[in-house]
Amino acid sequence: MISRRAFAEQLALVAAAPWFLEDLKPVQQQQQTQEPSALAKALAEGIRLRYPDRFTPDDLATITRGIDGRLRAIERLYQTTLTNADEPDFVYSVYRGAD
Amino acid sequence: MPDFAFLSIAELGRLLREKKASATDLATYFLDRLERIGPRYNAVVTVTRQRALTEAAQADREIKAGKWRGPLHGIPYGVKDLLATKGYPTTWGAEPYRQQHLDTDATVVERLGAAGAVLVAKLAMVELAGGMGYNQANASFTGPGKTPWNPGYWSGGSSSGPGAAVAAGLVPFAIGSETSGSILTPAAYCGVTGLRPTYGRVSRHGAMALAWTMDKLGPLGRTAEDCGAVLAIIAGKDPKDPSSVARTFVPPPRQGRGSGGEDAKRFKVGVPKGADKDIQPEVAANFRAALNVLQNRLDVVEDVELPDLPYGAVAGMIIAAEGASAFDDLLKDGRLSQLTAPEDRTGGYAALAVSAPDYLRALRARRPMQRALDDFLRQFDVLAVPTRNTVASPIDKPFREGWPGVTGGANVIGPTNVVGVPGISVPNGFGVQGLPTGLSLVARAFDEDKLVTLARLYQDRTDWHKRQPTIS
Repeated sequence: MISRRAFAEQLALVAAAPWFLEDLKPVQQQQQTQEPSALAKALAEGIRLRYPDRFTPDDLATITRGIDGRLRAIERLYQTTLTNADEPDFVYSVYRGAD
Repeated sequence: MPDFAFLSIAELGRLLREKKASATDLATYFLDRLERIGPRYNAVVTVTRQRALTEAAQADREIKAGKWRGPLHGIPYGVKDLLATKGYPTTWGAEPYRQQHLDTDATVVERLGAAGAVLVAKLAMVELAGGMGYNQANASFTGPGKTPWNPGYWSGGSSSGPGAAVAAGLVPFAIGSETSGSILTPAAYCGVTGLRPTYGRVSRHGAMALAWTMDKLGPLGRTAEDCGAVLAIIAGKDPKDPSSVARTFVPPPRQGRGSGGEDAKRFKVGVPKGADKDIQPEVAANFRAALNVLQNRLDVVEDVELPDLPYGAVAGMIIAAEGASAFDDLLKDGRLSQLTAPEDRTGGYAALAVSAPDYLRALRARRPMQRALDDFLRQFDVLAVPTRNTVASPIDKPFREGWPGVTGGANVIGPTNVVGVPGISVPNGFGVQGLPTGLSLVARAFDEDKLVTLARLYQDRTDWHKRQPTIS
């Protein structure tokens, strides 16, 4: 039995690089059979509207599942406590060219 | 002509210094093998014959004149075809870029050239380094990468060509890239040594970007010693890559005498919980056998647990957002449809639903993650795990159907890539279908010397890295 937290984590990894955890067949099968959320469907519809002539129904179903997986992973992302002082791990540097 | 195919860099260098072979001899030998054998494994995109012969002739002139540039002088090598090189296409393994010419040399290629190394080939790779979500081996316009140990099975990705080419004796060493597993996996599946440097240790200038904050370049070769020699040349600050750091790499010297050739230092090794549970039995057995080989030099701590943090969620968000931005032109004009793997033609679109705050959340979460993982890793010299929980997958099935029922192992590749610490994979035996397995060691940022030292010690005591596939 896999925990909800572990499942979300593994799902995110699968979304990041599916080959990378090919041993996660149960997770992938679960992802294949679960009904995508309404938000995932709405976001996929937004992509369809952006590129109206590009996708078959199967393509859209694949894209919707992909979005659904990412949304589940995002839940896990927000379980980490961060404060206002926790900045992204990059530093913007101002530029000044030659005088 | 003598058989140079499976000699190490040090052995080839000795032949050059002793005038028993010329750089032109070596270049010609490997060029011929690349052209003759490379297609069997879908390992090669472009053989750079003209450039190689020019560089080799220059090396011969210099060596004859007594100007010795160092251990790579006159040594042939290949690069994954995501590194820009003057005069030849740089295809990124993807049909939309098949005719792309970038009129520059990547910094890594420049540095290897300055060290006298001879570029003989641009090597195959998974299209766009796998960033669009491929789930089976046939994901490059060069076809599925095949491991020379059994061509019915995958060479690993995304540095599929570098892995297969080194394994088949087509090049003495090659440069690959890793965003999340793309050096260590082909090293394991092809039975060669692969070194993933710390993020920023090697300039990314001139390399295709998949995820700017996670991409690393590193060597695949016959031995840890060879990989260390290459890293010493390509490491260091590059003004053209702001993420590069001013830390050179000096290969760790051999000390002491006797079996192993190292001093008496003992290494504290952490073995993550579940590392060899519910994985292929041969992979587990080879892992334990490898630790036994080193037992008089190791203090093993079993069942260590990485800090419980959302590594996968962070990695997934970063690769999705940065990949979608890096290839936004392909998404916009629809050229993703030209990619080889059907799943790659739609895989990138889901990333368009990633929001900027979610991406920034991942980048904010990564900083405490780095500190937590560093605090964890500082308890050990290295972590040790089987590189993969199975041998290579068959090339004719989706990965998830390759080895059904194998669900175990410890996930170390993901967490260590997302924070950017180094790792090495060395061959440690064989599993089913005559396919090789790998032992991975992981260390704190910039501790590549520990990885090379311990991997070299292992290779001093074993001969898995000297085994050669039957080239049919």
